[in-house]
Amino acid sequence: MIRRGSRAYTIIALHLLLLVYSFGGVFSKIAAGASFPSMLFFVCYGLVLSILGIYAIGWQQIIKRMPLTTAFANKAVGVVWGIAWGMVFFGDSLTIGKLVGALLVVAGVILMGILDGEDRADEKDELLLGADDE
Amino acid sequence: MSFFWGLMMNSELLLFSGVLLLSTLLSSISQVMLKRAAMREWGSRKQEYLNPLVLSAYSIFFGCTLLTLLSLKVVPLGLGTVLEATGYIYVTILGVVVFKERVGAKKALAMMLIFVGVIVYALS
Repeated sequence: MIRRGSRAYTIIALHLLLLVYSFGGVFSKIAAGASFPSMLFFVCYGLVLSILGIYAIGWQQIIKRMPLTTAFANKAVGVVWGIAWGMVFFGDSLTIGKLVGALLVVAGVILMGILDGEDRADEKDELLLGADDE
Repeated sequence: MSFFWGLMMNSELLLFSGVLLLSTLLSSISQVMLKRAAMREWGSRKQEYLNPLVLSAYSIFFGCTLLTLLSLKVVPLGLGTVLEATGYIYVTILGVVVFKERVGAKKALAMMLIFVGVIVYALS
């Protein structure tokens, strides 16, 4: 049983949020294919904006509860979802070259996430300590 | 004939990929504007949210959602997601230019991985 407020609980919440966020891309792609103006377009674009709003709020809640490095690094999964949904819903192909490229991007985003997280955590510490040594 | 058709389709993909890259750049700029606004002292709570810097940042970001949507008319979702990863590169460069942040060897490596990965993906 996963307790509310536990580390695992927060990680799962983060990944659910990133999963929801990845559907922003799916709805954006559907809206792009819809004629304008049409019901389909406005519903899908409305969903895109709603997902951005949900993500913004959810993200703020998550980063209060977990190390920034972990949160930032896990965002790399978004690239995987984007490619997966492209294949599942829109028939994109995946070649060895694309796979290699995607793996490099994911590695880069994870590394960037860890480093950004460390930087931001430092900034936060400075703020908390009220460092006014300019 | 099919060669020219292929080239035309390709140039269309190139153009719309450019639109997505532009959208990602503008979105990165809006992020930096919001960060800058957050670092500044504003008189009141209302001013903290309703100042020209924050309002223009959100307007740009809103415009980017439409620009991205436009690009996805042609760009496949997978390629689109990969191209959006260039945002990390823009934000880092803007950090150096605007906030005088330093880029260490590790961060340069991360930027390089993303850059090379995007090129490899796009050309495959």
